[in-house]
Amino acid sequence: MTPRTRLLDPEVARALSTLSATAKQGLGDPALAELVVIRASQLNHCAFCLDMHLAIARRHGVPERQLDLLAAWEEAGDVFDERERAALALTEAVTVLTEGFVPDEVYERAAQHFDEVRLAHLIGLVVAINNWNRVMVSRRIPPGGYTP
Amino acid sequence: MTTHTEETATTRTATSGEYAPERPARLEWARHAPEVYQAMIRLETAVRKNLNHTLYELVKIRASQLNHCAFCIDMHTKDALATGESVERIMQLSAWDESRHFYTEKELAALELTEAVTVLTDGFVPDEVYENAARHFEEAELAHLIAAITTINAWNRFGVTCRMAPGHYQPGQYK
Repeated sequence: MTPRTRLLDPEVARALSTLSATAKQGLGDPALAELVVIRASQLNHCAFCLDMHLAIARRHGVPERQLDLLAAWEEAGDVFDERERAALALTEAVTVLTEGFVPDEVYERAAQHFDEVRLAHLIGLVVAINNWNRVMVSRRIPPGGYTP
Repeated sequence: MTTHTEETATTRTATSGEYAPERPARLEWARHAPEVYQAMIRLETAVRKNLNHTLYELVKIRASQLNHCAFCIDMHTKDALATGESVERIMQLSAWDESRHFYTEKELAALELTEAVTVLTDGFVPDEVYENAARHFEEAELAHLIAAITTINAWNRFGVTCRMAPGHYQPGQYK
């Protein structure tokens, strides 16, 4: 498949990169950040983002078993700990926004595991990857363009 | 003129009684992640300079409706009205496909693309939607439109997740 367009305003691209980088840094957990980003990219069907972030996740040492079972994390038993599960539940709620709001129980579960500063950055990270997913899927940027 | 923003929940009464109390925000995300907020402002500034204002507000209102972002609907309907948009075009926006004669073909193509890019978890962005937009927007302009759609989606996610309260926005407040 060829891309529909590769154009993206350089200032927009820079701001998006800063958005992702600041959110990820503030979260302070690179492995969890990749789980969150990959799960959102699965929900948004972004091939480019999956390809890129699976490579980054492996570089950060995220276990293969977690990557294999991420799409079914709720049914994956103790492959994911409670903190990871809270973050993934929030990621899904924030990503699938057109079908409803972010439920109180999902938000509160996340708030039990992340203080306000980390939570604000976690939300920022989910927002940022949703933005990248949309930019890549809309322009149909093919996977494989990313080199670590 | 008295606006709703000058009233409080306790003084407002509807025919069936008092309005429900305003719920507090869950999280002041911009205060807890100021560098993330600055990146969002940079993104917004970069996007806004590239797009016609009237079109941008229509896109923002429609995406905010789909994402149920009360804060963003409050802000962008007020901004649209304050800059000359008609009440009719705003009221009809959630049913734009049935009220096409309220909008230009170019606006309709942008609204259709807005919906496809916003409701991404249900599927991809269909070829016919993209190609219709590409007939009305040249390539660079279309890339700007896509960035604009993704950016309001980003604001919507902050607004809904952090439960930012609608009703207090004054037109042009953040300009």
